[in-house]
Amino acid sequence: MVLHLIVRRLFFLVFVLLGLSLITFTLSHVVPSDPARTIAGPRASPEAVEKIRKDYGLDRPLHEQYIRYMAGVIRLDFGESLSSRRPVNQDLKRYLPATVELTLYAMLFAVVAGIPLGVLSAVKRNSLLDGITRTISVLGLSIPSFWLALMLQFVLFAQLGLLPDGQRLPIGVKEPPTITTLYTVDALLSGQFGLFLTALKHLAMPAFVLGFGSLAIVTRMVRSGMLEVLGQDYIRTARAKGLEQKTVVIRHALKNALLPAVTVIGLQIGLLLGGAVLVEIIFSWPGIGRYAFTAIQNFDYNAVISVTLIIGFAYVTVNLLVDIAYVLLDPRIRVT
Amino acid sequence: MTAEPRVTPEPQLLPLGLTERAARRRGPLVTLVDFARQSPLNLLALGLIALFVFLVVFGGTLAPHDPIKPNIQLKLHAPSSTYWFGTDELGRDVLSRVMSGAKYSLGVAVIILSIALVIGVVVGALAGYLGGLADEVLMRLTDLFLAFPALILAMAIAAALGRSLQTAAIALTAIYWPWYARLVRGQVLALKEREFVEAARALGASPGRVLLRHILPNTTAPVIVQLTIDVGYAVLATAGLSFLGLGAQPPTPEWGSMIAGARTVFREAWWYISFPGLALTLTVVGFNLLGDGLRDYIDPRTRRRAW
Repeated sequence: MVLHLIVRRLFFLVFVLLGLSLITFTLSHVVPSDPARTIAGPRASPEAVEKIRKDYGLDRPLHEQYIRYMAGVIRLDFGESLSSRRPVNQDLKRYLPATVELTLYAMLFAVVAGIPLGVLSAVKRNSLLDGITRTISVLGLSIPSFWLALMLQFVLFAQLGLLPDGQRLPIGVKEPPTITTLYTVDALLSGQFGLFLTALKHLAMPAFVLGFGSLAIVTRMVRSGMLEVLGQDYIRTARAKGLEQKTVVIRHALKNALLPAVTVIGLQIGLLLGGAVLVEIIFSWPGIGRYAFTAIQNFDYNAVISVTLIIGFAYVTVNLLVDIAYVLLDPRIRVT
Repeated sequence: MTAEPRVTPEPQLLPLGLTERAARRRGPLVTLVDFARQSPLNLLALGLIALFVFLVVFGGTLAPHDPIKPNIQLKLHAPSSTYWFGTDELGRDVLSRVMSGAKYSLGVAVIILSIALVIGVVVGALAGYLGGLADEVLMRLTDLFLAFPALILAMAIAAALGRSLQTAAIALTAIYWPWYARLVRGQVLALKEREFVEAARALGASPGRVLLRHILPNTTAPVIVQLTIDVGYAVLATAGLSFLGLGAQPPTPEWGSMIAGARTVFREAWWYISFPGLALTLTVVGFNLLGDGLRDYIDPRTRRRAW
C-alpha cells in the first residue's frame, strides 16, 4: 500500500522536475537580454561576445540547449553560473545549508510554540489566553513578513541592540568546522558553546519572522483539532473513569488532534524553503532564496533553474513523507 | 509573503446551510446585518474592508496633499497637524500616499484573483465533469504549478516580462489559479453524483446546462470563502514583489514599494515605514477575519468551533 504510494509519487516527482525545468528554461529565455553579453561584460568587443556565445553553446537552438542542460542535471551537474562564473553546484553547496538551517529553526519555533498554544487555547476556551492566542494567529497570517522583519530590526537591533541585524555569524568570526553544515549543530559537535550561542543569536530574528506565519497555522490547526476531539464521547469516558485532566488532554486528545497538524507542518516546510527570499534579503542571510533573487536579476538562468528544481524536489519529497506519516499514524486512511 | 501560509483545500462539500437559504429570501442588507451581529470580529472585518474599499475608490481624490510631487524642503518631517503621518524622504505626505496606495495594493489583488478564479473554475469544472484523460492532464498541470516555489516563479515571470505592476499581477495569477482549479474540481466531483444533478440529466438537460446551471452554482460557497482569504494573501504578495522592485515602480504610491523606500531611512523616520505597513496589515486582517467569519456563517457545522 505504502509502496504503491511511493512508486506513484516518484513518477510524479520526475514529471514535476521536467515540468519545472521546462517552464523556468522557457521563461528565462524569453528575457529580453543577451546572456553572452552579460557574461562578457558591457565593455567586451563583439568578437569576444561571439566567442562566449559559441563556448557556452548559446548559439544553438533552444531545444538543443535545454537537452544539453538536462543531460547535465541528470548527472547532478547544474552548469556554470553566468554571473559568478563558478559551477552552480559549488554555489548551492555554499548557500543551501544557510536556508536549511533557517527553515529548520523557523519550523522548530512554529511547532514548539504552536502546539502548546493551540492545546491551551482549546482547553481554556474563551479565556484571556485563548483571546491572545487567536489574536497572535490572525496577526501571524496578516503581517507582511518584510515589514515585520524591518520593524524588529529597528527595535531589537537599532534601538535596544539585543540581537544582530543579519548574517549567520559576525564578520571576522571563524565558522565551525564543517560536519553537518549547520552552524549551530557543528558548533556544538566541535565543543564551541560560545559559537553556538552566537549562531543562535543570529538565527533568532530571521527564524522568528519566517516561522511566524507557520506558527499561526499550526496553532489554528491544533486548536480546532483539539476542540473537535475534546467534544467526543471517548474523552467523556476517559474523564468519567476519573482520569486527571492532564492525562486526558495529553494522552487521549492531543494524539488524535495532532493528525491534521502533521500535514500542515509538512506543507509548511516545503513552503518555507521557497518562501525565505524576503527574509533572507532583509537579514543578509546567505541562503538560496537570496541567491535566486540575485540570479534572477542577473538573468543567470542556470542558477535560477537549479534553485527552482531543488525547491520543487524538496516540496514533492516532503509531501510524500507527510503522506507516508499520515498513513502510518492513522490506520483508517487508505491510499487511493 | 515569505511563508505564504496555505493549506490544501479539502475537497469537502459544504452544504447549503439553512442560514444561507433563509438569507437568500431576505435580501443582501438583512444578511449583512445578520452576519455582522453574529460576532464582533465579523463587524470588525466588515469595517476594515469597508474602509479600504472606500480608499480604493476615493483615496486618490480625498488625499489632502499631492502623493507624487516631491517637495524637498519638507523632507522627513515627523507627524504633525498638517502632515498626520509625517513626510517621506522626498517630502511627500505619507498619509496621502497611503490613501492613494489602496488602489494599487488592494485593487490589483482583486484583479489578480478575478482572473485566477476564471481560469481555475474553467479548468477545475472541465476536469471534474469530463473525468478520464481530460481530468488527468488538467490536474497534473495544476499539480505542477502547485509544486512551483511560488515566490520564485513570480520573480522569474516578473523579471522575464519586465518590472511593472502589470507583470507582477500576471505572475501572481499564475500562482493562484491552481488552487481554484483544485477546489472546484473536488466540488464538481462530489456534486455530479448527487440526485438533483441526475434528475436534471434525466429531464434531458444538456451537459453544458447541467454543469453551468446545476453544478457550478452550488460550488460558490467554498469558493467565496477561499477567495476572501486569498485577497489578503494576494495583497501581501503584490506588496512583497513591489518591495523587491519587481512590481510597482516609484513614484507609484504602492504600499510595498513605499516600505522599500523607507527601508534606508527608517532609523530616523519611524512613521515612514510604519504607516504603509500598518495599512497592509489591517487590510489583510480584515480579509482573514471575513474569510473565517464567512466559513462559519455559511457552514453551520463549524459555527461552534468559531475561528
